[in-house]
Amino acid sequence: MSEVQVHAAGQRPSAAAAREGCGRLLRVRVPADAICWHRFFGALQLALIGLLFLTGVLMALAYTPVPGTAYDSVDYFQFSLPFGDVVRGVHHYAWNLLLVVMALHLLRALVLGAYKAPRQPVWVSGVLFLLVIPLFIITGDLLPWDQKGYWSTQVRFSIIASVPLVGDFLVQLLRGGPLTGIVALTRCYVLHILLLPGVLLLLIGLHMYFLATRGLSGPPAGEAAARPQVPFLPTIANRWLAVFLASAIGLGLAARLWPAPLGDPADPTDSSFIPRPEWWVLALNQLVAIFKGPFMVIGSAIIPGALIFLLAALPFLDRSPERRPSKRRGVLLGAAVVLAAWAVLSVMGYVEHFVQPEP
Amino acid sequence: MSKWWVGGMAAVLCAGAFAAASPPEDAGVMTITARYTQNVPTGIDDPIWQRVAQAQVPVSGRLEMAGVRGMVSTRALYTDRDLHFLLSWEDPTRSVTKGSWQYDGQKWVHLAGDEDRIALLFEIQRIQHFSSRSCAVVCHSPADLPREKWSLATKSPVEKGDLWHWKAARSDPYGYADDGWLTVAGNPSGSYRETGRRNDAGNGGDVKNETPDGSRPLYMQDPARRPSVPGFLLREEAVPILDYSRFKAGDVIPYRLPVKPDGSRFDVKAASRYAEGRWTVMLSRRLNTGREDDVVFDPRKRFSFAIAVFDDTGGDHSKTTRSLVLVFKR
Repeated sequence: MSEVQVHAAGQRPSAAAAREGCGRLLRVRVPADAICWHRFFGALQLALIGLLFLTGVLMALAYTPVPGTAYDSVDYFQFSLPFGDVVRGVHHYAWNLLLVVMALHLLRALVLGAYKAPRQPVWVSGVLFLLVIPLFIITGDLLPWDQKGYWSTQVRFSIIASVPLVGDFLVQLLRGGPLTGIVALTRCYVLHILLLPGVLLLLIGLHMYFLATRGLSGPPAGEAAARPQVPFLPTIANRWLAVFLASAIGLGLAARLWPAPLGDPADPTDSSFIPRPEWWVLALNQLVAIFKGPFMVIGSAIIPGALIFLLAALPFLDRSPERRPSKRRGVLLGAAVVLAAWAVLSVMGYVEHFVQPEP
Repeated sequence: MSKWWVGGMAAVLCAGAFAAASPPEDAGVMTITARYTQNVPTGIDDPIWQRVAQAQVPVSGRLEMAGVRGMVSTRALYTDRDLHFLLSWEDPTRSVTKGSWQYDGQKWVHLAGDEDRIALLFEIQRIQHFSSRSCAVVCHSPADLPREKWSLATKSPVEKGDLWHWKAARSDPYGYADDGWLTVAGNPSGSYRETGRRNDAGNGGDVKNETPDGSRPLYMQDPARRPSVPGFLLREEAVPILDYSRFKAGDVIPYRLPVKPDGSRFDVKAASRYAEGRWTVMLSRRLNTGREDDVVFDPRKRFSFAIAVFDDTGGDHSKTTRSLVLVFKR
């Protein structure tokens, strides 16, 4: 055992460092509007991710990632364990809400020009969330091993496989064989609870670091003006806790009133089951449906990939320092066109899958 | 500006939450929705049934009935305590004969004709693939039996079904559907060798009304009692026939005598009517009977089930539904 080194002042170095760190944190001051009643999407996003982590850990305590028992373990957790329905429901509603909040967070930054210098890395790291969060949903959907999750995963695998060069390889990597079975379930589970959370934590850290070093965006018309500052601890931390508690209570109530869906157990031999796309992939599904056959890759990879690339590259394409929306009509018009197209595709997808009767 | 912004965003958040709260049903499985009511339906004609959407559930024949199709109009209601089904299906003839005895002046013969029935099967413990393949997965007699002799049974002992069996001649006189459960065949042996059907605890069912040599009926209606269900001979109202010379040609005595039900076997109460070429049957059971041989209906969950309709038959051959799922909605 190594000898414990003691500071001249009688303190261990780690304790001194911790004390110094706390002192620095206590001295941190941030703009008062970092979290306020009209600016809370970032805080809400972080609260929802926190809830997803917490509820995910609780569910993992009862989950068995084996096709024969995965469904039963989820069923047992939700309907037999005390508050299992609330925990699983919060997890379900949290990711749905996270997608909405994430989109609104980006939209707000886009409309108010918050992506502009010097905050380009803040924006880019934020856009990267758009790539990671859906991966959580894709890998998480298979875990209950119900019909919807199983067959939705099959559809997604076929879409991923249409991506040129890497598609088949990615599917093989995820599925681990010709059939979606225990290997695929294990890999999705490991990705969902281990690797993707690691990537997400890294992204959150990067986003926060860039926020701290590049600063929060101020009002578009008067960013240079001095803004009131408040201490991070306890003012901002308390506000975040309030957001966290409010979302936990709200989602908990929703989960109690409207239980999270759990379909029938997966039957890989039942190819008659037709999964209907969830609301957030209606537009993507419609894109895939428009470009059929050899052109499927246009809808499955090229258009979504180009949109993400354009979004990430926005600060480098729109370099003018002007942030006022009224002076940036070109960018906003472009964004409105993309959003409108997305909405139209979603409505088309809804009509096709939910309104028109089955043949 | 910020007020409009916040208002708009709040609306979008609410819409997102709504979208997540109401997941759409997927294609492939037909859903029967049990609607909540505070008022217990008093019978088939209770107006409350008219307020519940009716699902037309297709049934199609198996084996020698292959190609025969039909519809079962299905409604479901639930209260804080009970679940109720109202089932109605076309049947050109009311069949309750069930091999009744008829005296031809010289000997006793069995009349042609059997019985109309309807059965519902739920899962007590998950039956592998039942939710997607319905009754096709509960046909598992021992492997040494020829396939055509396979009967209703699960594949493994961990799979367990709950069987509600309404029989026009044998359970309807007492106003119930015979409540049984389903497990593997062959255990115990003997009469259970070929089937996995088991009776719930308690009395019920019926006894055969025949002498040990099977040549004539053993019981008749107690002359001192008026039949409580005209046209049927209940076991509790039957007395041994001491003098067969009292019967004249054409007299009919039921062959199957319903036994007064009680216990878990009597959990599913029934009311029925046959009119204008249709059977209409109302079945009611507690959501949770507290018994291990019954499925527990938790309104938060969905329940796979199947319906089978039997027209004037005593065998397993019926018209069955594909996979159905029962959900509860307030």
